[in-house]
Amino acid sequence: MTPIDRRVLFHFNWPLLGLTFLLFAVGVLNLYSASAFRLEDGLSVNPFYQKQLVWGLMGLAGMAVFMVFDYRHLQVVAWPLFGVTICLLVGTLLFGKVIYGARRWLDLGVMNFQASEMAKIAILLIGAKLLSRGQRPLDWGHLFMAVGVGMVPAGLIVLQPDLGSALSVLALLGGIILYRGVRWPVLRLMLILGPILAPLGWFFLHDYQKQRILTFLDPGADPRGAGYHVIQSQIAIGSGQVWGKGFLSGTQSQLRFLPEKHTDFAVAVFGEEWGFFGCIILLSIFCLFLYHLFLAAQDAKDRFGSFLAAGVFFYFFWQILINMGMVLGLMPVVGIPLPFISYGGSATLVNFCLIGLVMNVSMRRFVFKQA
Amino acid sequence: MTTNLEPEGQQPPRSGLILLQCLVLGLFAVFALRLWYLQIHRGEEFSRKARDNQLRREAIYAPRGLIRDRVGKLVAVNEPAYALGLVREDVKDMAATLAQVSAWTGIPVEDLAQRVGHLRKRIKPFEPLILVQDLPFALLARIEANTLFWPGLEIVVRPKRYYPQGPLLAHVLGYVAEVSEEELERDPTLAMGDLVGKNGMELILENRLRGAKGVQNLEVDATGRRLGEEVVTSPSAGENLTLSIDLALQELCFHLLDGQAGSLLVMDPATGRLLAYVSQPAYDNNQFVLGLSSKQWAELRDDPMHPMQNRAIQSAYPPGSVFKLVVAGAGLHAGVSPKDTAFCTGGYAFGSRVFRCWKKEGHGTVDMLRGLVQSCDVFFYQLGDRLGVDRMSAFAKASGFGDLTGIDLPHEKPGLIPSREWKRKRMGEAWYPGENLNMAIGQGYNQVTPIQVARFVSALVNGGELIKPSLTMNDDPVVQDHLQLTDKQRDLILEAMVETVQEGTARVLLRKDARIGGKTGTAQVVRLKASEAEKRRKLEEMEYWERDHAWIATFGQKADRAYVVVCMVEHGGHGGSTAGPVVKAVYDYLFGENAS
Repeated sequence: MTPIDRRVLFHFNWPLLGLTFLLFAVGVLNLYSASAFRLEDGLSVNPFYQKQLVWGLMGLAGMAVFMVFDYRHLQVVAWPLFGVTICLLVGTLLFGKVIYGARRWLDLGVMNFQASEMAKIAILLIGAKLLSRGQRPLDWGHLFMAVGVGMVPAGLIVLQPDLGSALSVLALLGGIILYRGVRWPVLRLMLILGPILAPLGWFFLHDYQKQRILTFLDPGADPRGAGYHVIQSQIAIGSGQVWGKGFLSGTQSQLRFLPEKHTDFAVAVFGEEWGFFGCIILLSIFCLFLYHLFLAAQDAKDRFGSFLAAGVFFYFFWQILINMGMVLGLMPVVGIPLPFISYGGSATLVNFCLIGLVMNVSMRRFVFKQA
Repeated sequence: MTTNLEPEGQQPPRSGLILLQCLVLGLFAVFALRLWYLQIHRGEEFSRKARDNQLRREAIYAPRGLIRDRVGKLVAVNEPAYALGLVREDVKDMAATLAQVSAWTGIPVEDLAQRVGHLRKRIKPFEPLILVQDLPFALLARIEANTLFWPGLEIVVRPKRYYPQGPLLAHVLGYVAEVSEEELERDPTLAMGDLVGKNGMELILENRLRGAKGVQNLEVDATGRRLGEEVVTSPSAGENLTLSIDLALQELCFHLLDGQAGSLLVMDPATGRLLAYVSQPAYDNNQFVLGLSSKQWAELRDDPMHPMQNRAIQSAYPPGSVFKLVVAGAGLHAGVSPKDTAFCTGGYAFGSRVFRCWKKEGHGTVDMLRGLVQSCDVFFYQLGDRLGVDRMSAFAKASGFGDLTGIDLPHEKPGLIPSREWKRKRMGEAWYPGENLNMAIGQGYNQVTPIQVARFVSALVNGGELIKPSLTMNDDPVVQDHLQLTDKQRDLILEAMVETVQEGTARVLLRKDARIGGKTGTAQVVRLKASEAEKRRKLEEMEYWERDHAWIATFGQKADRAYVVVCMVEHGGHGGSTAGPVVKAVYDYLFGENAS
C-alpha cells in the first residue's frame, strides 16, 4: 500500500466532507422532530436521533477506512468481492431468514446481514472496473456484457423476492453505463424500446406494487387506504407554505397524520416545519453535494476513479430522485430512504463509506504525477 | 485546469460529465418547481387541510330551559342519557359489529342496518351515529367494558328530557323528540340527534327553551385521541319557565276527570293564567322523548278515547245553554232592555213550527235575569229572533269566540261562530230565520272550545278584559280585547250566574263562604246514523257515544281571590249533574272543604 502522501492530505476534499456533515446534521435535527409525538401532556420523543448519531459515528469510522488505502487496489478486489456477493445471495436464498414472506436476511449470529446491500457495492466496483476500460461509447456487445454481469445479482435478488433492491442494483449499473456513454444507434433504440417495453413490466409486479402505481395515478380514489400516504405527505409539505410552521410545530407529523415520518417520509416533516424557504435550502445542499460528487468524477486522476465517483453520484442521485419524487407526489410510493435525512442504520453506514470512497479518489488526484 | 493533469487515455467521458451536470440541474429545477407548486401555489389549501385534520369542531350542548310549576316544583328536567354511537370510520367489520349490538340490545340487525343506511349521508364517517338512544344502566356497563373489542362503538352522553309528572302535564308541556329531517333542513343550527319540541309548550316555546349551542375546537391526533379543546363560543342555556299551573290543584283536577273524556280549566280571571289545565284522557309524554315504537304509536292513535287530543283547545263543541250568556250579552249590547220579558208556555211558535222549551210546562213570564237563571229557551228564542244572526255573530266574535285565543299551545282550533256569509260559502244556502233561534240557545252550528269559554267568563269577572290565556308566569298578561258590555250589563249577567247557583241548574256549587256563579250547558251530540258501525258496538258503548256533552262555566270569588272554572265532559249527559260535582270539588279545594 502506498504510504499516505502529504499532498493527499493537502488535497483533502473539504467541501464534500462539509456538505456531508451538513446534510447529516440537518437529518439528525429533523429526525428529532420527526420522532416526536404530541400527547395530552406534552411532547414525547423517540430516541431515533440518538441511534442515528451513533450510526453516524460508525459511519465516520467506515469513511476513514475507505479513505486510507489507494482506491486503485479496488480493481483487484472487484471480482473476488463480486464472487463472494453471488455466493452470499445464493446462500440467502437457501438459508436466509423469512421475514414478511421474503427471504432477504442472512443470520450471521451477531447481526442480520442483507446481501443485497453488499451487491450494490460489488456492482459499483465491477461497473467502474469494466466500464472504465476503453474510450468509445458502448456498442451492443459491451452493453450486453455489462448488463449481463448486473443481471446475475439482480436476478438472485428478485428471487428473494426484493424487486426494489434488484432495480436499485440495475439503476446503479445503468447510471454508470450512461456515464460511459453508449453509441447513438444503441441509445436511440433503447429510447424507443424502453417506453414500449415498460408496460410489460406490469405483469411482473405484485398486487401491492400495482396498487401503489394506481394510487399514484389517482390518490383520491382511496384517501383512507392506499392514497393516505401520498395525500398526507402533500398536505404536510404544502401546509408548510413559505416559512414553515417552525421546529417541532408540524401538526401533520406531531399528531401522527403523516405515516413513516422518521424513515421514508422524513423530508415531509422537514417541509412542514421549515417551509419552502427551508426546502429550497435543503434541495440546494443536496444539489451542491451531488455537484461535488460530479467534480470528483471530473477531476479524478484515472478513469476508474472517475467511474467510481460517478457510480457513487448515481447511488445518491437515484435515492434522492425517487424519495423526494415520492414525497412530493411525483412518483409512486417506493420504499427508498432519503440519504442522511431518513433514519436507517446500515444505510447511514454505507452512505458515509461511499463518501469516503469518493474522497479517496479526489484526494489522490495528484499522486500519479511522479509515478 | 485540473483536467490537464490527467494522463493520456484517463480522461473521464465528456458526455458523461455533461450528463451528470444536467441531472443535477434537472433535479433542482423539477423539485424546486414542485415545491413552489405545493407550498406556495397550493399552500393555503394544504394549510387548511392540515387544520381540518387537526381540529374537529364540536358542538357544546346548551341545557334546555327547565320548567317548574307555580310553586317551583320541577316538571320538565334534563337528564343524561347514554346512547350507543357508531363511528363508521373506525369500524373494522360492520356486519359483525351490528350483529353484536343486536345481541346486546335485542334490536333486530335489519333495523340497525337500516338506521345506519338511513343516516350515513347525514353523519360524517368520523362522527358518532347514534345506534341506540337510551341504554339501560346494566347494558351500559356491559357495553362499556366491551367497546375496546369493537372499534367504532362508543358510549355517547346526551341530554334527555324527563317529565316527572308524565300524563299529568302532558297536554300542557307536550314533549321533545329527536329532530326530523324536515326540521333539520329548516334550521341550520340543529344537528342530527338533537332533541326539539314536538308538541305542547315544548313546541311553541321551542326558541326560548332551546338556548344556543356553543362551539369548541377539539385538537385531535390521527388516532382521534383528544389533546385539548378550545371553546370558541360558550353555550347559552335556554330560558327557564315557571308554569302558572299549581301542581297540587292540577293533580286534583286531573283525577276528577279520570275515566272521562273532557277538560277542566281553572283560570285566574285577572291575568288569564291557568292554575289547572286538564285534558283527559292523557298520555305519557316521556314515551315520546326517546322514540315511540310503532306498536306504542298505534296504540295511542287507535285508542277510541283519543288521548292525544288536547280537548281544552283542540275540541270545539256546541256550547249549549252556556252560550245564552253570550246571547244575553249580545242583546244588552244591542240595546235590548233587561226588563223586556217573554212569556214561556213551553214552546215558541215560529212560522209553521213550534220550538220547544226544555221545560214542557213553561216558565211563565221571564225577563232576562230569570231567563238566564231558568235557562228558559223561549226567552232566548225570542231574543235570538229579535237580534238575528248578524248581531249575535258579531258580538260572539268580539267576545273571542270563533277565533284562536293564542294560548302557547299548538293545534288550537278556532271553533265556529256562524254567519250569513259563512253559511252561503259553506252550504251554498241563505241563512234561515229559524236558525237564529237555534243559535240563540247554543245549538246549531256554534262550536266553542273550553278555553274560549274560560276566557269569556274571565272577562265578565275581571271588568271586561279579554286576556290571552297563559300557562306561564314568565310573561305579563296580554289584554287582547274588551267585552262590548258596560259594568252594569256585565253585573247583570254575573248576577244571573250567581242566582243560577242559588236556585237554578248549578245548585250543586252553592257554598256560603264564597260567591259562586255558574251556567250549565248540555250540548246535543249529533245522533249517529244507524249504520253498520253502530251494530258492531256493544250497547253500553253506543249509549256513551250518544249521550250529550255536559258543560259548566263558573266563577268563584272570596275576599280578593277570584277563579274561573270551566268544565266540559264529553257525553257527560246533563251539565249540572255531571260537570257540576267536578267543579264543586275544585271550589272545595280552592276555598276550603267544609264551608257549604
